[in-house]
Amino acid sequence: MKRSKKVTLLLMAPLASLILTGCAEQPVDALVFNNPDECASASSLSPEQCKADYEQAKKVSATVAPKYADKSACEADFGVGKCETAPATQQQSSGSGFFMPMMMGYMMGKMFNSGGVGGGNMRGNFAPEPLYKSRDDSSTFRTANNAPVSRNTGLVSVKPSMTRTQATSSVTRRGGFGAQAAARSSMTGG
Amino acid sequence: MQRIAIEPRAHWRDYAESVGFNFHTIDHKPYWDETAYYQFSLQQIEHDLETPTEELHAMAIDLVADIIKDEQKLQQLGIPENFWNYLASTWTKGDPYLYGRMDFVYDGNGPAKLLELNYDTPTALFETGFFQWIWLEEQRQQGKLPHGADQFNSLQDKLEHAFREINFPQPFYFSSVAKHSEDKGTVSYLMDIAHQTGMDVRYIAIEDIGEADGQFVDLGGYPIQGLFKLYPWEFLIHEDFSAVIKTSNTVWLEPSWKLLLSNKGILPLLWEKYPNHPNLLPSFFETSSSEPLTAGWVRKPLFSREGANIELITDAGERLHVPGPYDDAKYIRQVLQPLPRFGESYTLIGSWVVRDEAAGICIREDDSLITKNSSRFVPHIILD
Repeated sequence: MKRSKKVTLLLMAPLASLILTGCAEQPVDALVFNNPDECASASSLSPEQCKADYEQAKKVSATVAPKYADKSACEADFGVGKCETAPATQQQSSGSGFFMPMMMGYMMGKMFNSGGVGGGNMRGNFAPEPLYKSRDDSSTFRTANNAPVSRNTGLVSVKPSMTRTQATSSVTRRGGFGAQAAARSSMTGG
Repeated sequence: MQRIAIEPRAHWRDYAESVGFNFHTIDHKPYWDETAYYQFSLQQIEHDLETPTEELHAMAIDLVADIIKDEQKLQQLGIPENFWNYLASTWTKGDPYLYGRMDFVYDGNGPAKLLELNYDTPTALFETGFFQWIWLEEQRQQGKLPHGADQFNSLQDKLEHAFREINFPQPFYFSSVAKHSEDKGTVSYLMDIAHQTGMDVRYIAIEDIGEADGQFVDLGGYPIQGLFKLYPWEFLIHEDFSAVIKTSNTVWLEPSWKLLLSNKGILPLLWEKYPNHPNLLPSFFETSSSEPLTAGWVRKPLFSREGANIELITDAGERLHVPGPYDDAKYIRQVLQPLPRFGESYTLIGSWVVRDEAAGICIREDDSLITKNSSRFVPHIILD
C-alpha cells in the first residue's frame, strides 16, 4: 500500500477538539537539579549536556525572573543575599538598574529516549528553565511565575503549563518579521 | 496515466469546511476539484516518480555541502554575504529538516523532468495528505472506485514518524502570515500531526514574533526555542529582525540552508554537477551577456513563488508571462518542457519528500502552461 494507514485530525476537527479540551492537564516528566554537578552525577546526561542546560536556564532566567526596582524589595521576597543585579538588555548600554532573584536550581525535560529515567507520564521534552526559592518557603523550587514545582531534585511530575514560564518584565520589540509579505501581498507558500 | 471524470461526493464542501479547509474555492473558482481524477499504474508511480524523487533529493542535499564552501556559488544564488556563516553553521550542526516538494513535468511516459524544488515553504500539504486520502476512502466505500484502488500518499504517516523521531524543543511554535488562509491550512495540519505525537505545539503569527535580549519571544515573552515557519528565508534575512536570527538559540524548521534549495539557482548548479541526468532539464544562470529569451526557453527569478514573474516562449513562438512581485532578483534560464495537456488542462505533478523519503504526490491543473496558486488540485489513484 502506497498510502498512509490512517489519517486523523485532532485539532482541526471541531468535534474532536471539543473532547480534547475537556481533558485535564496530563502531567509530564521533568528533571530538577540544584546545579550541573548534581545533574551529571544523578542522571544519564553527560557533564557537557548538564552544563549547557544550566547555562541555558541562566540565560532564560535573565529574561523571565521577576524584576525589582530596589534590592530590599527583592530580598523581602527571596531572602537576604539571594538577589542580584539583572543583566542589561541589548537596548541598555550600562546596567539594567533592576534586581532579580538568583537562580537556585533548574528544570528540564529530557525524557525522549525510552531507555531514560522517564516514568509512566507523557514524555517531557522542553527547554531548560530556571527555578527559584522564596524566603518564606525556602525548601520548594518555584518557577519564575511562583508556581511550586518540587521539594526534591531528580525526576518529578509537573503540569505542562509549568514548563513554560511567562516573562514578567523585559523590553520586547515586535513586528520585525512580515514586512515583505505585506509589501508583495502574495502567498508566501508555494 | 489518464484523466478520468467522476461524480463529486455530495457533501464534500460541508465536510471540507468542518475540518478547516475553507479555501477549497478561491475567487469563486474551484481550487479543490474532484470532478475528475488521475489514474497511474504502480510502475509509473514507483519507477517514474518515487525513485527519481529520492535520487534527485539525495543529489540536491549533496550539493548543499558543495555550495556552503563555495563563495562563487553562494554569490550566484544571491545569498547575502553576512549570512554565509550562519547558513553553513545550521548545515554543519545538522539542524533537522522536515519536508519539501519537487515539481515535475510527467505525462505517463519517459523520465519525469524536474521543474523546481519547493524546499522552504511548500504548501498544499493538507490537501494532499488528508483531503485527497479521505476522497479515495469515501469513493471506494461508495463503490465509485474499485476496492483495489490505492494512492501514492504516505505523507501523514511519514510526517508523524518524523515528529516522533526528531527531538524538537518544546513548546514548539508554528508560524505563518496571519491572514493567508492557504498557508494557515498547511501549518494547522502540521501542528495537528505534531500534537498527535505528544508534542506541545503553539501558533504565533509571523508578525507577532518578538525579540528580547537577542532571543525571539512569543506574545507572553517566553523564548521561542523551536519554530516552524511557513515564511520564506529570503524574506526573513532581509527584514528588521534578521540580525536576531544569528544571536538567537531558535532552531528553525525548515533550517536556513533550505534557502539554497528553494532557490531556482539550484537548477543550473544541479545541471552543472549532473549534466544530462534524465530527470533534469538544461538550466543556466542568466548573465548580463545573455541573449534575449528565445523560443523553447523559460526564464525564472531566483526567488519566486506560485508561478510569479515566470516568462516563457513556446516552440511555436507564443510568449507567456505571469506578472508578480519577485522582480528584484537575478534570473535563470531553463529549457522549456511544456506541461502535458489532458483535455483542457495543463497538468503538473508535485512529489513530496519527508526527511529523505518520497512521500506521495499531488496534482495541479491550470488552463495555462504556468502553474499558479489558483491552479486546481485534482486527486489521483493507483490502479493496475
